[in-house]
Amino acid sequence: MSVRTLAAAAVCAASLSGMTVHAAWAADPDAFKIAGVVAFSGAYGIIGEDMKRGVELAIEHRGGKVLGKPIQVTWEDDETKPQPAVQKATRLLAGGAHMIFGAVSSASTVALQSLADQRKVPLLVTISADDKITRPNGSRYTFRTSNTLGMEIRMAVEFTKAKGLKKIYAVVADYTVTREGWETYRKAVEQAGVTIVGVDYAPLGNRDYSVIIDKMAKTDADGIAVMVTGNDGVTFLKQSGQAGLGKTKVQFGPVLQDELLAAAVGPASLGVYSGVRYHFSHDNEANRKFVEAYRAKFNAWPSSFAGEAYDGMSWWLDTVESTGSWDKEKWVDAFAGSTRENSLEGKKVMRACDHQALQVGLWGEVVEGKEPLPPLTMKITNVFEPEALFPPC
Amino acid sequence: MSTIVIGLSLGLLLFLLAAGLTLIFGMLGVINFAHGSIYMLGAFIAYQVVQITGSFWVGLLAAPIIAGVLGAAMEWLALKPVYSRDHVYQLLLTFGFILVIEEAVRIFWGLDYKQVPTPDLFSQPVQLFGSSIPSYRLFILGFGTFVSVVLFLALDRSRHGMVIRAASADPEMVQTLGIRVGRIRTGVFAFGCGLAALGGAVAAPLVPIELGMGMSIIIDCFIVVVVGGLGNIRGAVMAALLLGMTRAIGYTYAPDWVDFITYLVLIVTLMVRPEGLFSRKGRTA
Repeated sequence: MSVRTLAAAAVCAASLSGMTVHAAWAADPDAFKIAGVVAFSGAYGIIGEDMKRGVELAIEHRGGKVLGKPIQVTWEDDETKPQPAVQKATRLLAGGAHMIFGAVSSASTVALQSLADQRKVPLLVTISADDKITRPNGSRYTFRTSNTLGMEIRMAVEFTKAKGLKKIYAVVADYTVTREGWETYRKAVEQAGVTIVGVDYAPLGNRDYSVIIDKMAKTDADGIAVMVTGNDGVTFLKQSGQAGLGKTKVQFGPVLQDELLAAAVGPASLGVYSGVRYHFSHDNEANRKFVEAYRAKFNAWPSSFAGEAYDGMSWWLDTVESTGSWDKEKWVDAFAGSTRENSLEGKKVMRACDHQALQVGLWGEVVEGKEPLPPLTMKITNVFEPEALFPPC
Repeated sequence: MSTIVIGLSLGLLLFLLAAGLTLIFGMLGVINFAHGSIYMLGAFIAYQVVQITGSFWVGLLAAPIIAGVLGAAMEWLALKPVYSRDHVYQLLLTFGFILVIEEAVRIFWGLDYKQVPTPDLFSQPVQLFGSSIPSYRLFILGFGTFVSVVLFLALDRSRHGMVIRAASADPEMVQTLGIRVGRIRTGVFAFGCGLAALGGAVAAPLVPIELGMGMSIIIDCFIVVVVGGLGNIRGAVMAALLLGMTRAIGYTYAPDWVDFITYLVLIVTLMVRPEGLFSRKGRTA
């Protein structure tokens, strides 16, 4: 036997023994390991910490265990970029993670989706909203328990009709997803007899909307559709407030405001309407308990990121528990088509055809909050039923 | 007419943001990558001072002073030893400043958005030429004009300005005359940092104050510096106004072409007149 043959045999033996050890370890793991890959820095850096809080509370509320083993979450920062998201998730999967939780940006989530499918590991999404993440006959291993952008656009359509707005001027973030969302909105409201009097596309990261605001102010539009979000939405509302645009026109957007963003805008956010992914004021027993526990632990009102993360992770862990098995395929089969009667937002149904949770849509207005509420708080004005928001698979 | 007013205010805001960069670039030959971070720091300082004192005007005064002191320390401790070395060391050093400043801001103020309200005096819009113009824009217009005139007179017409320009053109000669060039360099860097922070404080009521805000302005600043000519304050004003008017008119009549035209001007300048469209040979300010 040559030295080379001996070496090859040794490598094979080592690999086989490793596989045996791995298989044995997988059958009786010492912990349920979660790869938490979210944004702690970058454009969405502010979101990751709240998601982490939501997940930690969900785990705490079940005694820190699932399937009789302790739950162990390892958090990694994807810097709001797809490449670090995949690199860090890959490393955590190599360390034996049983599932991935994340990411924040849709680009990172889509990248994680490919990894989850390759490794046959469940991916739980609780914030990324790109419609393509959950599509019919899409990823077997990806589940989203939170809103889609399409759903939020449909809420904006329903709001436009309910508010009786007749003429709309829009500002739209100049990238594919929002342009597609705008087209969906435009077609739907035009069918309802609403006139589009103007639209401007602003580059992402635009710092000055004064010209667009001046154009809007000169029209007879009664509604301003603001299809920009995050920093851009804050910048627009701060500058439209200085021009007094909100005094004569209704400003609204599918993902325009929550308490965090309203605080960044200041008083100019009063009277602005927006879709809301989760809200602490939603009135049901599960939400009351969660909000109470969250405030006791973190001394703050839960944001939509925290609420959605808590809700999604609680639902997922209950499902895993119900299988009584460490077989990931059984978890996936059980979650697809499952129903969560007592979610923070009422009943949610995980659609088997696209792994998207059907749920109500919340729509609210920024109002002045009285203690102990934040000074600028969302008041839920409309609750839209899932039938109006989700097209059939 | 309102388009012209908006264009002028856009231009003068751009000038306030870019003035410090062009000054440091022109006088010291240092490309200060940390300019955007100091602009961000200026906005955060203004926010903090407004929180403590309740006055935007105190914040507007404090931000450039604090950033100027910090800039002097940065120059004296870190930049001075690398003047004689290759430019790449200065680039790396200012890049390092970005990391340090951003981490410090994250530790002190966290990741969430901060808000500086529009000062009461300029919180209401005014009717002008049939349009509702935010009065804060008019303040920027007036303040930007004031700063540009003061800078121009200080650098181009005063004895101190002459010494600064001389120290930039021939430091050895100025040194032999008994003038301490090192101090002039420290002063210029501190002043440039102060201007960046002033830009941040002025922009604070217009934009969300957050950790990434510095990165969003740096490209516009470099366009102003390149088109206006290195270290040329008059050129920077003209370039900023050109850019502001292009955006105001462009977004009104041909919004899809605005960025194309802006970058075309930059490319043409670099190809045809790399010293800047508004430079005069033999002058640095």
